[in-house]
Amino acid sequence: MAMTKEELKVKILEKAAKSPKPQLYIKDFYECDPEAKPRDVKNVANELVRESKLKFWSSGSTTMYALPSRIKNEESKDGI
Amino acid sequence: MAKHETPLLDQLESGPWPSFVTDIKRQAETKPVCWDILGILELSYKDRITHWKHGGIVGVFGYGGGIVGRYADVPAKFPGVEHFHTIRVAQPSSKYYSTKNLRQLMDLWEKHGSGVTNFHGSTGDVILLGTRTENLEPFFWDLTHDMSQDLGGSGSNLRTPANCIGQSRCEWACYDTEEVCYQLTMKYQDEIHRPAFPYKFKFKFSGCPNDCVAAIARSDISVIGTWRDDIRIDQAAVKGYIEGKYPSNGGAHSGRDWGKFDIEKEVIGLCPTKCMKMAGGELKINNAECTRCMHCINVMPRALRPGKDTGASVLVGAKAPILEGAQFSTLIIPFIKIDKENEFEELTEFIEKVWDWWMEVGKNRERVGETMQRIGLPAFIKVMGLDAIPQMVKEPRSNPYVFWADEEVPGGFERDVQEFRRRHAA
Repeated sequence: MAMTKEELKVKILEKAAKSPKPQLYIKDFYECDPEAKPRDVKNVANELVRESKLKFWSSGSTTMYALPSRIKNEESKDGI
Repeated sequence: MAKHETPLLDQLESGPWPSFVTDIKRQAETKPVCWDILGILELSYKDRITHWKHGGIVGVFGYGGGIVGRYADVPAKFPGVEHFHTIRVAQPSSKYYSTKNLRQLMDLWEKHGSGVTNFHGSTGDVILLGTRTENLEPFFWDLTHDMSQDLGGSGSNLRTPANCIGQSRCEWACYDTEEVCYQLTMKYQDEIHRPAFPYKFKFKFSGCPNDCVAAIARSDISVIGTWRDDIRIDQAAVKGYIEGKYPSNGGAHSGRDWGKFDIEKEVIGLCPTKCMKMAGGELKINNAECTRCMHCINVMPRALRPGKDTGASVLVGAKAPILEGAQFSTLIIPFIKIDKENEFEELTEFIEKVWDWWMEVGKNRERVGETMQRIGLPAFIKVMGLDAIPQMVKEPRSNPYVFWADEEVPGGFERDVQEFRRRHAA
């Protein structure tokens, strides 16, 4: 990785906040550190989920990541 | 007493076969939420559209798979299925259960969910259909603490690995499918429980080419038992089959008179590579031409057995019909030893190489078989560090161009332009 884990976390959160798409695939985060291995990016993104800074959204067949404030919440009455 | 009128669903009970509608009605007698399953399904039949929303954010803490969020888009009409999440529970290897374990699991599901199940999902998990978000954590606690069972995979995760009954009961198993399935399940816990990939990824382990878990049709990496020496032949038993002393196919066709067993017609004539013949009253097999289809062994199990030098073939890229249609996996490694002593190192090294490549170049929602199709098999096997073999060739080429890589051309593509111009003036 060209950056530290903490720097990558900041980049991922920035991407999740600014991206036009509210929910992102893991591959969308690869560009946060083009030199990092995909597996490292995945590990950092999953750590952000454990820290409750990101959330998973799953259709059942695929999984996406989003900030808790931007995620499509099916439990809200009308959803986003 | 039915809560909703369901005339369309009621028709499904009128045939001679068992009906899921009858099952759900029976379950509704003790679990009233099940009336709402029937109600929402009847409405979907009437409206010709699903009334389930797509996916959700539910899960249990620390896991990114195993729970599939399902919500009704008409909760006011059917409050019992406002939340109706699916839970995937990892099945035991070969799906061996004790009745005690099944009773415990059903008690747990009656306590926390609708009681409706699907044994099993196509990946192999026990599918528990229908619970509310607030029940997920208590269910997960009981499942893991009281029953020592775990959730399976879902989403962009490694899905719960599955295997055939292998050497536990089958004499044809060429390796210990249960052992390798268990060890790889333990090794790849992170990939099963947290999303890692562009899309779903499945392993399946079959002990022989009969492929009882349909690994070749359904898994991204199919590990199928095979052998590389000769089929073992008991010539006396071959004679026994010809004389009618033993029923063919282990007696599987004995319910009807199919006539006298004819080895030429039923075995030799059906060999796909024509590698068998009778000579001097004995069955001869040209093993170099055998494609290990298992047909002869299946027909005469007392006379023929797989060889003794056993291992597995590894194939990559099967998938179901979404996008460009279903495809079988492609043979990539014809034979590897499946060796517990080195923790299946040869296999796991290959698996991780496939993952690294796919995570890098695979598009979102693209199975590894589709990535292989898009990028091309030559590029895939090059990245895997493998040489092309005839078994990888599916059909004669249709593209007349041959593309050579720099390193494949003597001297490469670098040319001395001045030297060229001395011979060919501009």
